[in-house]
Amino acid sequence: MTGEHARGAGDESLSRQVLESTRGRRVKHRPRLGVMSTSLLDSLLTDHLDHGYAEAAARKAERAAGDEPGASHRTGWVLAIGLLLVGFLLAAAARSTAQQAPDSERARQALVRDVESGTVASDALQRRAESLRTQLVRERNAVLAASVTGDQVSRQLRELERAAALVPVTGPGVAVVFGDASPREQLDPATGEPQSVPPEDSGRLRDVDLQSVVNALWAASAEAVAINGKRLAPTTTIRAAGEAILVDLFPVSSPYTIEAIGAPDTLLPRFADSAASRRYQSQAGVFGIRFEVRRSGDLSLPAATGTDLRYAQPLGPSAGATAPLGSGTGSGRPSTGSPGSITPSGGTGSPGTGGGS
Amino acid sequence: MIAAVALVVGVLLGLVLEPTVPIWLQPYLPIAVVAALDAVFGGVRARLDGIFDSRVFVVSFVSNVLVAALIVFLGDKLGVGGQLSTGVVVVLGVRIFGNAAAIRRHLLRA
Repeated sequence: MTGEHARGAGDESLSRQVLESTRGRRVKHRPRLGVMSTSLLDSLLTDHLDHGYAEAAARKAERAAGDEPGASHRTGWVLAIGLLLVGFLLAAAARSTAQQAPDSERARQALVRDVESGTVASDALQRRAESLRTQLVRERNAVLAASVTGDQVSRQLRELERAAALVPVTGPGVAVVFGDASPREQLDPATGEPQSVPPEDSGRLRDVDLQSVVNALWAASAEAVAINGKRLAPTTTIRAAGEAILVDLFPVSSPYTIEAIGAPDTLLPRFADSAASRRYQSQAGVFGIRFEVRRSGDLSLPAATGTDLRYAQPLGPSAGATAPLGSGTGSGRPSTGSPGSITPSGGTGSPGTGGGS
Repeated sequence: MIAAVALVVGVLLGLVLEPTVPIWLQPYLPIAVVAALDAVFGGVRARLDGIFDSRVFVVSFVSNVLVAALIVFLGDKLGVGGQLSTGVVVVLGVRIFGNAAAIRRHLLRA
């Protein structure tokens, strides 16, 4: 477009300049102030060529008139160096662009791959740990079954393991489906297209919400609790890490299915009567969060990942059957109504799963 | 002839040596490229007009690149870097288009 516009004026002015400068007069563009604005635009749109070329041509013509020997050899090298620089600059720019643009993308892909392979490896290790644990239990039981005392120890061991959530369990109970408010449909102000807006902070569940529901379930005498298939052991934490909620250091995401096994007749009424349940029932209407409680006849919960006690020491062989659990965790679970081999020694006022966040 | 060889050698050097552009230089690279293209198109047009001068070409190339980079640098320091780069690109782009049109008229007579 500019070219079309510049066709007449540009060529004319150029040839005039050459002509004038060959007569030895320098062309000077020093417009008066009044015409400054238009002349600036004019020269922008019409004078595309460096004026240096015209002046150099004029000088050359002068020299030719004066019959000086040409310096064509030298100018050839100057041109070569200039073009070398141009080529180098263009190639370097192209290279750096090609290198840079995918760099961030490549880093992101590598991170995604790392995360995926890490997840796969961790899952495989988890499965292996579980199978090894069942194998260990089998072998141990086989050994202990040989003697009378061994049989007794084995029975105690099974009791403790059940209490420590180290064995998979099955039974009747309740399932609580607890979820963030669903994304709202909203018209995009720019395009008019409908788009989904993530729920506001008031409609998003936090770690304390999960904690209070789980604690209410414990208080309603649940015997085993799992969140999204993750069994809660006595030392399991529910805590927040940024936006994510971690259960036993594993991230879980909404909707959360909290399953609890307990006495069929009492668990559901007690839980429904708890402060937490009533609170979330009312908040479901206000903030749009999901909160559904239903009775479930047959739940099966997996075993929790084993936790090693690092600081708590068992009291001794004689007290070993009862002491470790209570003194180890500091916040014992409420007595579950199972035979009284487990006596929580402290912190029964605030039962269940504390979350340090 | 020597010019074409020099250009090819320059491109090859740029590709083979794999120069890593320092971080502080990277904002100026696009502007420098546009300035270099402007100098190249101007040179080609001058050649076709029959008034090419290699010294003018080299000086205009180097000074274009430096001035463009300087403008962007100043703009960055004064908080108007983006706008100034846009201005540089517009002005140089208009010149490139004008020179390209002149070259086209020379070569195609249209």
